[in-house]
Amino acid sequence: MSAADVVKVRGLRKVYGTRAVVDGLDLDVRAGEVVGLVGANGAGKTTTVECIQGLRRPDGGSLSVLGHNPVTEAARIRRLVGSQLQDSALPDRLRVAEALDLFGTSAASNGRGLLEQFGLAERRRSAFSSLSGGERQRLFLVLALLNQPRLVILDELTQGLDPAARRTVWASVRKLHESGTTVLLVTHELDEAEALCDRVVVMRSGRVIDTGTPAELVDRYARTAIVRFSLPDFPAVILDELRRLDGVRDVERTGSRVTVTGDRQIIAHVGAALVRRGTVPADFAVSIPDLEEAVLKLLAEAKAADESLRAANELVGGRR
Amino acid sequence: MTGTVGRLVSAELKLMTRDPLVLTFVFAFPIVTMLIIGGAFGTQPDRAFDFVNPAHWYVASYLTVVIAATGLVMLPVHLASYRERGVLRRFAAAGFPRWSFTIAQLITGLVTTLVACTLLLVVAAPVYGIPAMHAWWRVAAALALGAVAFVSIGVLLGSVLPTARSAQAVGLLLFFPSFLLGAGGPPPHVMGSVVREVAGPLPLTLLTNAVRQPWLGIAPATGSLVAIAVIAVVATALAARRTTL
Repeated sequence: MSAADVVKVRGLRKVYGTRAVVDGLDLDVRAGEVVGLVGANGAGKTTTVECIQGLRRPDGGSLSVLGHNPVTEAARIRRLVGSQLQDSALPDRLRVAEALDLFGTSAASNGRGLLEQFGLAERRRSAFSSLSGGERQRLFLVLALLNQPRLVILDELTQGLDPAARRTVWASVRKLHESGTTVLLVTHELDEAEALCDRVVVMRSGRVIDTGTPAELVDRYARTAIVRFSLPDFPAVILDELRRLDGVRDVERTGSRVTVTGDRQIIAHVGAALVRRGTVPADFAVSIPDLEEAVLKLLAEAKAADESLRAANELVGGRR
Repeated sequence: MTGTVGRLVSAELKLMTRDPLVLTFVFAFPIVTMLIIGGAFGTQPDRAFDFVNPAHWYVASYLTVVIAATGLVMLPVHLASYRERGVLRRFAAAGFPRWSFTIAQLITGLVTTLVACTLLLVVAAPVYGIPAMHAWWRVAAALALGAVAFVSIGVLLGSVLPTARSAQAVGLLLFFPSFLLGAGGPPPHVMGSVVREVAGPLPLTLLTNAVRQPWLGIAPATGSLVAIAVIAVVATALAARRTTL
């Protein structure tokens, strides 16, 4: 493990009953990175981070977190890691300020400052049960950051938050990133992963199926761009001209509405072609694929590949 | 270590004072029922009460009701609720060692018992008077061992039962028969032989005997005291082994 590796996982395996929830997973998180763990429900994301925190004992593989083994040194790791867990709570009648006293260790930073930063200063005397969903999530984030951890694990960070609260929390994660804290972010929200993560790890059926920066994943799996515009007096010759442009795969016309699909280069080519014709439609719009489209395509490809493999295995098994 | 347990105990004690179940079941219920039943049989020594003042009989008995309410109802519901809602997971993830929560619960349970027993005696004193203790050290030993035994049983039940509702159901099912047969109900002398046979080996009956008999000078109740000591050791060992975060 290099000095820069905060998390190094090799061949992680975790089985519940007869089902392998995590099956040979490899994962590296380097110091100062924000890494997103994404995938469908049941992909094994939460189990993976629970093994990393030493909350679950793996059935196979090796793990190293900040140079320590989560199986044998769980208590030490938990003191260095701040976490915001999915599906957890605080005692109903515990007040916000008391939660800071309870969870703050000698390493605790300025709890009052964190409460102010996350808009909870006026709720210091409020019981946990009286907080809204967004306030609870923000309190969990405060608790995760309270002891100045070297690694922060955030599981479904913005679940249940309204858009404004999400933006506040995102800004806090960016601040963490700027301060050099390493963040492992488990999320279903791919816009969140795209906005916050240096690197995204895509999981399916307990394995990593690809990893890269959001831009790399989009480039790999979703290169299509769509250009839409309207031309009321539309000479048919333009359609042929658009079809001949480099990178264009399809041109569709519905009434005065035109949709051009192709590689990203079509954005420039279609725009230039329209300008050459002396027309710039007011509703000219471009759809560029985002991480969500890329990940959905990747997951669909992985599912199709799994099904083909299963069918082939069944065929071979049947012949035998 | 002290810091972790200290922070947990401090928080848990504050939470206990805000919990309606604790306030009603551990503090109010024993006091109210003691006042009612203590007055029901008068204050004249009676054969059914081993020739002691019936009110004093119940004052001495009801300390064990507090202990049983803490161990059989309050702690299991509290712990199962924590497990069900993911509070224990949060403590674990925050680096609280597995044993620290168990120790904190044992301490919290014992402190709650001590406060509730004191309150019961404070209320009983002006109404029925506090009976003189004939063998204080036996009474003190029985109360201490009984508190450890029932608090450990509570921690054990809380670690086994999956939800707060199941803990409440099981806890009440264990508590009320024990309460009626072993501490707060009719004296054994007026029970039928079968009921007396059933009541005799119940932990709460043994504890009540170990407290009441030496307190009121009826008997030393050494057998009951030894039985409670054994239960305390076994229950504590099982609770320590079983409790996981």
